[in-house]
Amino acid sequence: MTARRALAPTRVAGFRTKLLVAIMLVVSPITALGLYFAERDLAAGVEQELQRSFEGKLEARHNAEAVRHAALTERCRALVRKPRIQGALEEFQEALYDVADDELRDIMEEPVAPRPGDEASVLSARFYRFLTAQGEIITPPSGRRSTVGLLTGEEEARLALPAAPDQPQVGFLSYQSADRSESVAEVIATPIVSGQTGEVIAALVLGFKPFEFATDQTAAGIATGLWFEGRLHFAGANADGLTADVARAVVAPDRAGSPRRIPLNGEPHLLFCKLLNPGSRFPPAYEVCVYPLAGLRRQQRRLRWRVLGLGAGLLLGGLVASQFLARRLSVPVEKLAVDSERAARFSADASHQLKTPVTVLRAGLEEWLAREKITPGEAQEISALIHQTYRLSSLIEDLLLLSRMDAGALKLELTRVNLTELIEAALDDFGARPDDFGIKVETEFPTALHIAGEKRYTAIILQNLLENARKYNRPHGCVRLAAGGDGVAVWLRIGNTGRTIAPAAQTYIFERFHRGTAGENVPGYGLGLNLARELARLHQGDLRLLRSENDWTEFEVRFRLAPPSSTLTPV
Amino acid sequence: MSLCRPLICTLLFAAISRLASAPAAIEGRVSLPKARTAPVVNQRYEIITKGGVIATNPPLAVVYLEGSFPPPPVPPLAQIAQKGLTFIPTLLPVQVGTRVEFPNFDDAFHNIFSFSPAKRFDLGRYRASEKPVPSVVFDEPGLVTLRCDIHEHMRAVILVLPTPHFVVTEADGRYRLEGLPPGRYAIRAWLDSRTTSPARPVELHEGATVHLDFP
Repeated sequence: MTARRALAPTRVAGFRTKLLVAIMLVVSPITALGLYFAERDLAAGVEQELQRSFEGKLEARHNAEAVRHAALTERCRALVRKPRIQGALEEFQEALYDVADDELRDIMEEPVAPRPGDEASVLSARFYRFLTAQGEIITPPSGRRSTVGLLTGEEEARLALPAAPDQPQVGFLSYQSADRSESVAEVIATPIVSGQTGEVIAALVLGFKPFEFATDQTAAGIATGLWFEGRLHFAGANADGLTADVARAVVAPDRAGSPRRIPLNGEPHLLFCKLLNPGSRFPPAYEVCVYPLAGLRRQQRRLRWRVLGLGAGLLLGGLVASQFLARRLSVPVEKLAVDSERAARFSADASHQLKTPVTVLRAGLEEWLAREKITPGEAQEISALIHQTYRLSSLIEDLLLLSRMDAGALKLELTRVNLTELIEAALDDFGARPDDFGIKVETEFPTALHIAGEKRYTAIILQNLLENARKYNRPHGCVRLAAGGDGVAVWLRIGNTGRTIAPAAQTYIFERFHRGTAGENVPGYGLGLNLARELARLHQGDLRLLRSENDWTEFEVRFRLAPPSSTLTPV
Repeated sequence: MSLCRPLICTLLFAAISRLASAPAAIEGRVSLPKARTAPVVNQRYEIITKGGVIATNPPLAVVYLEGSFPPPPVPPLAQIAQKGLTFIPTLLPVQVGTRVEFPNFDDAFHNIFSFSPAKRFDLGRYRASEKPVPSVVFDEPGLVTLRCDIHEHMRAVILVLPTPHFVVTEADGRYRLEGLPPGRYAIRAWLDSRTTSPARPVELHEGATVHLDFP
């Protein structure tokens, strides 16, 4: 009894656990998916924001460069329009550099090196040369070397162009400055156009200090540099490994404008390459910008941890909520289970408590009947009482069986059962009963029908159905039993004449303790049909009312066809 | 009376000798190259340089007589004005030794200079009020290109010739060189800095006019 009492809470707890697991199975993936997408969107958002900020800084820098470049170009244009320079080019070339020294005095950098950060030096030229209309260098006189800016012959030769350009050309030149250190100059070659004919008669090449390309500490570690003539200049100390990547980037000029990710010193970086002199007759030069992504990675890691923390919190909350929900949802189930358990226990207790006194009662009555002193009238009464004890026992047996089924304690060992034999045995019993009504029995079933069942309980189904057919029949009526198989299932139909079941009552005939109106004078407790159907279902079959009309009521029970070899499992 | 007689004689002699050496003239047409721009009313002449060749546009030529002429007793004086941010005239032939003045009639500063081998000079900046008027003596024959350092479009050329007899043609190439002494000479037409026609011999007689075209 203790074990049985503990059953209901255990099963309810199991149900609750299953419910909780089910809720968690739904909640967890949804939470995980939501967090995954949130994290991905946030990470992408952070990356986009950082990239936008980086591009903003680059754009600001490019704008400053463009302004400076426009100023330089305008200065160059003003210089090449100087009548003295044009006059000297046309008529007095030996004095060209003398004249130019005078005319370019304002733009040429002082021989003394300017202080770092001197704004004026940005627009000052470090050297200048003239090109002929054919693009060749007009070599300055040796005495003028210091005023035109020192360049070696090889460096001067790199300033030459195939022809004097008709538009300003931008290029870059690496050269040795006065202090023997390697310098880079931004070179602008401006055509000198005759004011009268519009012909290009020469070009003025001015070398300026390029825009600052040092590592900008204030801009989150952005390092900038220059790439030309196959070499990288001014990219900072941490960009030693850049050469190959930049070379690859500039090979594909269409992709040079878009950033690419590169590993540098073990850290991911964004690399931008921008062509500085598109269409120039000087060799192509690229601005190289490297942006470290370490900060971005740190931000993404922080974000990921936050999202994970949030996810854990949400899951915990989900767990608590699921627990609460499972408890709330399981309350009616629990109540149902407890009620059901209570009812089952009541049936079981009642059956057990009743069985013993009935047996004792029957034994006493049979002993009394065996006495010789009793009158025939007394003997008849005692026999009737003994009959009632049998009915009571039968009722108790049924209740006991139902209670076992309700408690889930009844498990069938399904084996191969010969239904034909069982039918014949049941009909024998049926025929052996005293027949007060002259009921005729008709049968139609094959010689061998095998079903999956347990013999004892299959027999109860048959007995209950035949007992009903007899009890609810009319005098001189008929009972018809037919059985057959359709390859999948086996059916058994038992019909009888007599008063039919009212259509409104047909729904309730399988309920426990239900008795139809026809059964007012019929012995029984309304358990037979209920028991038969429960047992049929335990057989993995079913019992149903086929029809009840025109003096004929017929039930059909279906069983599983027994497989050829008995490989049946418990139900 | 004794004083009047020699004076009358001198005047008479002078009139007779003047009549005896009546100046000759040459006229004709120089075939000018086509103008670079369509002719317009009040065409201004400009100096252009193309491929190192300096010429006027629309084209003009200078016809001059070559020969042995005595230097002028007084240096001749000529003038190129700066008016309306341009030189007037833009082509000026002068005899060697001529002083050319460059008055400034504009409100703006001008700064005339030349890098030409025949005469290199730089007058610096000056205004209309500059006195005396800046001038330069051109003492070597050749072509001198004038520029203004302030106004890059301003150009003019001075053709310094070793002769007092020269004339600038009309726009259609016609010319008339007058007041020429009789004798045998050579005559040329200057077309641009690189083109001067070959010398053509010409014999001038007193009071006669020779017709001579330059093809």
